[in-house]
Amino acid sequence: MLTPAILGLLVFFVYPLVANLYYSFTSYDLLSPPRWIGLRNYTYLFTQDPRVAAAALNTLWLVLIMVPIKILASLGVAGLLMKARRVSGFWRTVFYLPALVPPVASVVAFVFLFNPGSGPVNAALRSVGIAGPLWFNDPQWSKPTLVVLAIWVMGDVMIIFLASLLNVPREQHEAAALDGANAAQRIVYVTLPAIAPVILFAAVTGAIAALQYFTEAAVASGVASGKSGVYTKLSDVMGYPADSLLTYTEWLYARGFGSFQLGYAAALAVVLFVVTAVFMGLLLRRFDAFNPDGRS
Amino acid sequence: MNHNTQSRHRVLNFIADNTILAVLGALFIAPIVLVLLTSFMSGRQTLTASWWPDPWEWDNYVKAFTEVPLASWFANSTMYAVLSTVFMIVSSVPAAYVLAKIKFRFSNVIFLAIIVAMLLPPQVTIVPIYVMWAKIGLTGTLWPLILPNLLGSAFSIFLLRQFFLTIPSAYADAARVDGAGEVGVLLKVMVPMTRSGIAAAAIFQFFYSWNDFFGPLLYTSENQQAWPVAYGLATFHGSHGTDWGMTMAVTMLVTLPVVIVFFFAQRVFVEGINLTGVTG
Amino acid sequence: MLKASIAATAVMVVLAGCSTASDSGPQPEKDAPKDLSGNISVWWSQSDREADEARTALEGFKALYPNVKVTYHDGQSDEQIAKAIATNADIDIAISSGPDSLGTFCTSGAFVDLAPYMKRDKVDMSVFSGAAKEYTQLNGEQCSLPWLNNAYGLYYNTDLLASAGVTEPPKTFSELEDLALKLTTYNADGSIKTLGFNPLMGFYESLPPQWMGTVNASWMPKGEASFSTDPAWAKLMTWQKDFIDKIGYDKLQAFTAGLGDEWSADQAFETGQIAMVLDGEWRVAFIQDQAPGIAFKTAPMPTADDNADAYGAGYVSGSTAGLTRASRNPEAAWAFLKYATMDTQALVTAANLLKNMPSTEASRTSPDLTLPEASDTFLHIVSNPYSVTVTPALSGSAVGESVLKFMQQFQAGDVSNLQEGLTKLDSDIMNAIELSK
Repeated sequence: MLTPAILGLLVFFVYPLVANLYYSFTSYDLLSPPRWIGLRNYTYLFTQDPRVAAAALNTLWLVLIMVPIKILASLGVAGLLMKARRVSGFWRTVFYLPALVPPVASVVAFVFLFNPGSGPVNAALRSVGIAGPLWFNDPQWSKPTLVVLAIWVMGDVMIIFLASLLNVPREQHEAAALDGANAAQRIVYVTLPAIAPVILFAAVTGAIAALQYFTEAAVASGVASGKSGVYTKLSDVMGYPADSLLTYTEWLYARGFGSFQLGYAAALAVVLFVVTAVFMGLLLRRFDAFNPDGRS
Repeated sequence: MNHNTQSRHRVLNFIADNTILAVLGALFIAPIVLVLLTSFMSGRQTLTASWWPDPWEWDNYVKAFTEVPLASWFANSTMYAVLSTVFMIVSSVPAAYVLAKIKFRFSNVIFLAIIVAMLLPPQVTIVPIYVMWAKIGLTGTLWPLILPNLLGSAFSIFLLRQFFLTIPSAYADAARVDGAGEVGVLLKVMVPMTRSGIAAAAIFQFFYSWNDFFGPLLYTSENQQAWPVAYGLATFHGSHGTDWGMTMAVTMLVTLPVVIVFFFAQRVFVEGINLTGVTG
Repeated sequence: MLKASIAATAVMVVLAGCSTASDSGPQPEKDAPKDLSGNISVWWSQSDREADEARTALEGFKALYPNVKVTYHDGQSDEQIAKAIATNADIDIAISSGPDSLGTFCTSGAFVDLAPYMKRDKVDMSVFSGAAKEYTQLNGEQCSLPWLNNAYGLYYNTDLLASAGVTEPPKTFSELEDLALKLTTYNADGSIKTLGFNPLMGFYESLPPQWMGTVNASWMPKGEASFSTDPAWAKLMTWQKDFIDKIGYDKLQAFTAGLGDEWSADQAFETGQIAMVLDGEWRVAFIQDQAPGIAFKTAPMPTADDNADAYGAGYVSGSTAGLTRASRNPEAAWAFLKYATMDTQALVTAANLLKNMPSTEASRTSPDLTLPEASDTFLHIVSNPYSVTVTPALSGSAVGESVLKFMQQFQAGDVSNLQEGLTKLDSDIMNAIELSK
């Protein structure tokens, strides 16, 4: 019964990892056989590639800034729902609903809403006398605007926090209250320690998701640049504006499948693997947690 | 007196909390409302500051189907999502069951590999996998995204395993005592008891396939006949003499199936999300 | 069970190791076959109206070879064409919208060297007009043929110019800038209402090669990046930046982001939101189709004040049609390629419908050519000896992309030292070429 799954792991996981390492030492465009070029892809990657640094820094930005903000926002809303005793039903649905919107649809919608010239957001700001920024069209604002989007779709993380908040035993709160702890102290000494593992889980999986952030950035660049049409090369508009939205995986895609430098893309993938492995290590140290019955 | 201030305090707190919730909730719903309203505007009106459709351009929803091959996109997305889901269930349920309930030598190694495969960004292995499909000649279609599900999906196996773990082994043992084989135990005892878990895994797979952009970009961008909705929508604004009104109509249409599925299966779905996250 | 899996993996490894496309692609038969049959697939960038019209123009192929069935794949970018060829998809002929990617298509062997076919069938490049001979080959290897020419010039809205009391189009940068500023109007909140001319690089067709003739700049001479050593580029960029600063970068960005798409009926020149725009000759057909009410004329692009001699010339380019190595039916595909690029009647019909420039001498002088008056400008640009084109570079579109990116950064004010930036741009381009060798 396990054979298909093992086969799946070998064909789509083990073999590609090994083959990818091999390709990373070659020059390969699918048209002629891979040609061994030693470390040249890596030298180019670390010393010459003019855009990889921007791509890596943008991705790092997303990991360090977008992920924590999204987690704080989810925690905040979950806490608020708990406090107002609105954990189920209408309000939960309201905050969860945006997470259901397909990512491409939500980005297209956000590019429209935040269009600097004609979008409703800047129209609203103008009506109160504020000149809104250029949002997706300004290198300074493009990533923060994606953070707004990330907050809007925080529903899945929020649901997890809600469940774990509900699991915090009431007695602990009551005991702490009897000991004279105020609300803030109860959060710090009772709630947070109880849900810390869940926060860690959300942070690490969020970071790994941010490392592969692709769809939202690519679609935002395409639509906001006005060049998302059928026969535009998507990898030409990636990063718009001014490479501020160029993520690491976009760069990998552009090199590999926009210019068919598959060997170089493989080298980029090896580096991505190493970085991801560090985050995975953090999570897998808690491997036992995946076995609720204690079996490991 | 003391009692009185306390209850007044409570009432004030209640009002404050709910006011904050109402304001936040309005902010969360506003984008959806604005998109819906814009989807009824003419292209010219979307470029103005007014946000109430005048006149109502119902035509946008018709034009969405006549000016772009939206019907074909929907058909492709449906095929992608339904086949992936069916294939995933057939392959992943047995695998998850074995990993959860049967002890054997390498079970931990395999489970660890499944977790790593689940967490690994797809881009890490995309070069060799793309080369593989290119050699087989299936690029330009959605099959490279559908067929792997026949060999299980790491995330689904993980999720289903967690569901199976919650079912006491005693049930399976009883069936075994009655002479049922492992397949019988799985189909007659375990599957009926984890119906909601399987439903959750199915919904996740369905949503994942429906929303997938990277996969279709990689494998089908050169073949418009194979485009699913998510990829079509991304190329929509700008290619067909489109306007924001129509773009927003398509955006609504693309989102609708997901929302419908969600409302039918809300309970199962939320349960599933929690199972992926509750580790501590 | 584990054994079977390992065996399967071994098969995959072998599969991936061997190359199915190790040969150098199709070779011509000794003599041109008389009877052709079968299917061929043509992938091109044209879509919607343009694709329909181009199909009409190529109808005659059916009469010549009734047994060959042609299938068209519309709206294909270079990226998608590259994918299709690399994955050995059903693609016999690729017609790319320009020579940008020709460097990679030729060096990788995606486009087959046409010399053996041309030699066998005794056709040569002399039938094509000027620039087309340059941008269709790489280092002497003829790996594509030109299909129609593109020429770039200035479109101006005569009503809007008349409202400023102007009837003649600007001929120099200073005239363009003065007029553009005069024609720019603002809303009460200070945002732009209508724009005279958009100086932002990357706006519609405003790309680096389209500007090089205006300042007499060079493009990768002898395959070497010279954007820092050729002072013309810095001059162009400095002028554009001054122009932008007179209006305000943020205002221009906000205005530009609110404009309709280049290929839609909301294109800003067609809606009257912009008075003058740099565009290709095909815009004449788009205006006819999408905005017949707009009153406009065309003229060559204004040139730098000290480069007035070059006025009248412009940037010339065109679609490049190649025979791909993935072709299963190369002889029929070659017959189609020859017909599409060299048949006078087919080219004249295509030019008349698409308002593109005919790319052979015979079609350019054909009495059946009935282009409207607005197209004359472009006919003159094509035949102007000072008109310029870009010869394909080794690293494909990487050069154009990098130059555009840099110019946009500079316009945004993100480059503190222009000369240093250009020097780095040059070395980045050369490094990229080195890696793709």
